Amino acid sequence: MITVNGIHVTFGRGTPLEKHALRGVDLTIPEGQFVTVIGSNGAGKSTFLGALAGDVIAESGSIAIDGTDVTKWATPKRASLVARVFQDPMVGSCTALTIEENMALAAARGRKRGLGFALSGDRRRHFRDRIAELGLGLESRLHDRMGLLSGGQRQAVSLLMATLAGSKILLLDEHTAALDPGTAEFVLGLTRRIVQENRLTTLMVTHSMRQALDYGDRTVMLHEGKIVLDVSGEQRAGLDVPHLLALFARQRGGEEIADDSLLIG
Amino acid sequence: MSEIAFFGAVEIGLVYALVALGVYLSFRVLDFPDLTVDGSFPLGAAVCATLLVAGVNPWLASLAAALAGAVAGLVTATLNVRFKILHLLASILTMIALFSVNLRVMGRPNVALLMQDTVLTPFYGLGLPDHVVRPLVVAVVVVAVVILLARFLSSEFGLAMRATGVNARMARAQGVETDFHIYTGMALSNGLCALAGALFAQTNGFADVTTGIGTIVVGLAAVIVGETVLPARAMLWALVGCVVGSILYRLAVQLALSADAIGLQASDLNLVTAVLVAVALILPRLRLKAALKREQPKGVVGR
Repeated sequence: MITVNGIHVTFGRGTPLEKHALRGVDLTIPEGQFVTVIGSNGAGKSTFLGALAGDVIAESGSIAIDGTDVTKWATPKRASLVARVFQDPMVGSCTALTIEENMALAAARGRKRGLGFALSGDRRRHFRDRIAELGLGLESRLHDRMGLLSGGQRQAVSLLMATLAGSKILLLDEHTAALDPGTAEFVLGLTRRIVQENRLTTLMVTHSMRQALDYGDRTVMLHEGKIVLDVSGEQRAGLDVPHLLALFARQRGGEEIADDSLLIG
Repeated sequence: MSEIAFFGAVEIGLVYALVALGVYLSFRVLDFPDLTVDGSFPLGAAVCATLLVAGVNPWLASLAAALAGAVAGLVTATLNVRFKILHLLASILTMIALFSVNLRVMGRPNVALLMQDTVLTPFYGLGLPDHVVRPLVVAVVVVAVVILLARFLSSEFGLAMRATGVNARMARAQGVETDFHIYTGMALSNGLCALAGALFAQTNGFADVTTGIGTIVVGLAAVIVGETVLPARAMLWALVGCVVGSILYRLAVQLALSADAIGLQASDLNLVTAVLVAVALILPRLRLKAALKREQPKGVVGR
């Protein structure tokens, strides 16, 4: 469970480029819920995810994960509770390390890293079994460098890596945005499967309203650092992209939507 | 090249192999361009020589030298991690400071080790000529360091350190305390360089504040030569490559200096080294460019 209480984030405070990115966000996500987050560029989606992951420390308000106050925790400490997949496959993995080394790195998340071998025979077998589940034929390529994989393969492995350490919360930051439509479809299907199998509490930021409605149980829209829309259940099931746009416009007091990125289906 | 010159080159190559391993840790593993080594190498020599003159056990003196180097590495890491000073500048600050520190440690610009026992003393009377004993003893130390370092880098802790250098953001997201790994890696790297300094003082019989000049370039040259002759991906072989590179580099230098036809003097060493490193850094880029040019008609780089 994630409880976010009135968090504020400002970048470049006191400079001409000051940006009040989050202006009091409240959100409670019960255990096992899959929330999709949408919003235009600069709405604060990525900042919000960064605030949950610890990359950005909120200047006021509080964040609790499973009842523990993590507001002041830095990223490495929060990693014990939170798994992530990044938008850019290059950011989310160590391209110069092998696939199995990347997996070993992820498997030790939230654990003390000692002087024991990072890759033992047992662990290699375990990784081979797990990566075979992806059905991409990667089980024979564990010694290959991560950088040799395609973007889609890398995101698939990143998703798998997110489950290796058994954390219950998954943060997805537009993790299909850099992929072609077919591959994105595959990775999204995989996401749904992995979230269900591991019963993960999930937050998925996406630039696509279509994806936001098709996946998960609840959709939240951010605008100018605030949550302006929060739909779930039947209300959400009855929604289509045009409805969502209309709802959004009403929330904003009839303001025109000038941002094309919102319309991408 | 005479037999003595050959063994001399191997000996100095082995001593600097420890520098190369340290430089590999900072430059390659942590991606932290660290010039502290120009100060930590003579620091190791100074600490070791001073302690030997004071009658301390040579192994203990070498260990103390390594620890002093580790502290120097921690200073650079602190300037960079804690106070956000650019890594190159942070290391230059420490290096400059160490010049004064080394003079303080020795109390004078150089210390001669004439009658003092060194780690080599017990092995001199065993029937082998001195110029063979020295590289042998240093080789044992280097082999031990390579094995320990390879083991360390393939541990969970070592893997996290490698990830820190490759992709710090991802490492943090996987729960790696990247700052801590930079501290540890920098301490280890400079500890090795100081140990090299300690062995240098003991094999050459003196410590001098000026011996540090250009250490970083020599270390880097060894790493690059090693990567060229032994392009390995497995950790152990990459480290062996550093050692091989260091020895080959010294042999090449020795060969160049002893060939009268080229007309080089010992004082040209730094120029030769700088040119060698520059060429080694430029070559792969040129090769890449040539490869891209060849690919272009096929439309692979169609821009």
